[in-house]
Amino acid sequence: MRIILMLIKKEFLQVFRSPLLMSILIVAPMVQFILFPFTADYEIKVLDIAFIDNDNSTLSRQLIEEFSSSTHFRSKGMIDSKSYADQLMKADKIDFLVEIPLNFEKNVMGQQGTTIAITANAINTVKAGIGCGYVQTVIGDYLKETAENSGMSAFSDNAQLFTTNIYWYNEQMNYKNLIVPGILVILVTLIGAYVTALNLVREKEIGTIEQINVTPIRKWQFLLGKMIPFWILGMAEFIMGLFLMKLIFSITVQGSIPVLLTITAIYLFVMLGLGFFISAVAENQLQAMFIVFFLFIVFVLLSGLFTPTEGMPEWAKFINYLNPMSFYMDVIKKMVLKGCEFSDVKIQTITLSVMAVILNTAAILSYKESSK
Amino acid sequence: MQSIVAKDLTKQFGTFTAVNHINFEVEKGEIFGFLGANGAGKTTAIKMMSGLLLPTSGDALIGGYSIRTESKQIKKHIGYMSQRFSLYNDLTVFENMQLFGTVYGIPPKELKQRINNSLEELMLLDKKNSLVASIPLGWKQKLAFATAILHRPEIVFLDEPTSGVDPIVRREFWKLIYQAAAQGITIFVTTHYMDEAEYCHRISIMSDGCLKLIGTPDELKQQMGVNSIEEVFVKFVNR
Ligand SMILES: Nc1ncnc2c1ncn2[C@@H]1O[C@H](COP(=O)(O)OP(=O)(O)OP(=O)(O)O)[C@@H](O)[C@H]1O
Ligand SMILES: [Mg+2]
Repeated sequence: MRIILMLIKKEFLQVFRSPLLMSILIVAPMVQFILFPFTADYEIKVLDIAFIDNDNSTLSRQLIEEFSSSTHFRSKGMIDSKSYADQLMKADKIDFLVEIPLNFEKNVMGQQGTTIAITANAINTVKAGIGCGYVQTVIGDYLKETAENSGMSAFSDNAQLFTTNIYWYNEQMNYKNLIVPGILVILVTLIGAYVTALNLVREKEIGTIEQINVTPIRKWQFLLGKMIPFWILGMAEFIMGLFLMKLIFSITVQGSIPVLLTITAIYLFVMLGLGFFISAVAENQLQAMFIVFFLFIVFVLLSGLFTPTEGMPEWAKFINYLNPMSFYMDVIKKMVLKGCEFSDVKIQTITLSVMAVILNTAAILSYKESSK
Repeated sequence: MQSIVAKDLTKQFGTFTAVNHINFEVEKGEIFGFLGANGAGKTTAIKMMSGLLLPTSGDALIGGYSIRTESKQIKKHIGYMSQRFSLYNDLTVFENMQLFGTVYGIPPKELKQRINNSLEELMLLDKKNSLVASIPLGWKQKLAFATAILHRPEIVFLDEPTSGVDPIVRREFWKLIYQAAAQGITIFVTTHYMDEAEYCHRISIMSDGCLKLIGTPDELKQQMGVNSIEEVFVKFVNR
């Protein structure tokens, strides 16, 4: 135990002293989050907004007026039917639909709760995420103002009386809305497989591993001493990614965070095992880099990050049964975007656990203290 | 009692024989010098004896344990200093010693004590918290030696410990070797410096994977009818 703790300490000291690694760990996620999604033109200039007014009261009309005066929105006017609104959204003519319920004025004035439905065109996640915040601010500010003007102190104190229901409109599950959570997957994968493989091969290259191999240290102690620090770094990176996702894109995890973290922890072990296995096979950093990148690209292309897995040919679907990233991607989609339960991702969790066991066993078996 | 017994120890890389049926014995507490031209097979022999490389055939007993079947036991009882400096450059002097001391199972309190004593002896105490990368080569080599014997091994393998080091540090280094030998540690050392060969209790000369000569420096000089080991070596290599 003391040996493993010492090895962990050694690894952390080295990581924190490596300017290159530190900048990769801290800057990479930020750069990825900021640049990657925007490459697909997510510039937010003006958001097109349309309304369904079921109340048709003074208050509801004033609220709609409020949107027109905001610089962020361009009003596309009133719409009669939900189906027409859907059509507009499909054609990308509108970004938001605000639906004011019947008895809106009555409920607000009577200081009862009211629920406004917002439908966001989530084909473009970034626009939808940021825009949603704007819409809610406009509504919130307006109601607060109204309350103050009419002396309804209770209402202005208790903003909870007003709620919005947000519907993400994204019928075809267009790939763009997967990019942001997909970056989380890429981050975790890179730390797990890439950084660890390179770290171990580097010890081989500079010869420090020889000094370790002549000691009575056991293989599993050595591997745990490598694995735990990179596992912790990977988890930290993932949590940082979740914060950035919230901060920049207002995407919050819809499902249970503990379940998400647990599955991420398992996925990290899969990637660590893979990284160690590669480093045992590769002779130098160049080889390791090449193998990792080859696998990485295959994993990413098949994982459903850029193209939905449903539309893939049979052979690709078959290979995906061996692709840990595809299972994890699925989990992320379900947990982050859709808010699924653990029972919905049980199969994925079990598969990833089996993969973790197999790859780590392979890593231990292939790690040689002495060479032939 | 023998610390090292090599029996027909052989290593082949493909069809190339790097170490060819070498036989020798090293007594406990002895300083045994291993001489040979570049590529003679010295490093290969040392790596086999310290469990980093499996022999193709033959065997060696290190402290009584076979390198073929009992390398786990051997590792507890040996120290090893690689030809290529292989402590961590991005850790401090203290952190390196602490890491390896802990790996060998020295209890923390005792370890601190030993590190401090050892650094004091090496006059490295003021570099205790310096990154290893920042200290000069001569000190690095002394540090590597001190680290290799921190756990008080029975045998220590030193692969060209003084190559590239200035004469003053070399002399200091040999003082350390003598101190260690006086404590009963068997020293197995390779070198290209002939003056260092004279410091050894016994030396052997290796060439093309074979052990050609073995004996005390005086015996070898007499045998070849010359006055220095350097002449022995040159005469021998030219033969
Ligand atoms: N892994 C290997 N594969 C193939 N050949 C090898 C390997 N390791 C060493 N050799 C060869 O074996 C021979 C002996 O090498 P070794 O390193 O043992 O020599 P050495 O006596 O230590 O030389 P030096 O004084 O240069 O350190 C050399 O010709 C070397 O090229
Ligand atoms: Mg050598």
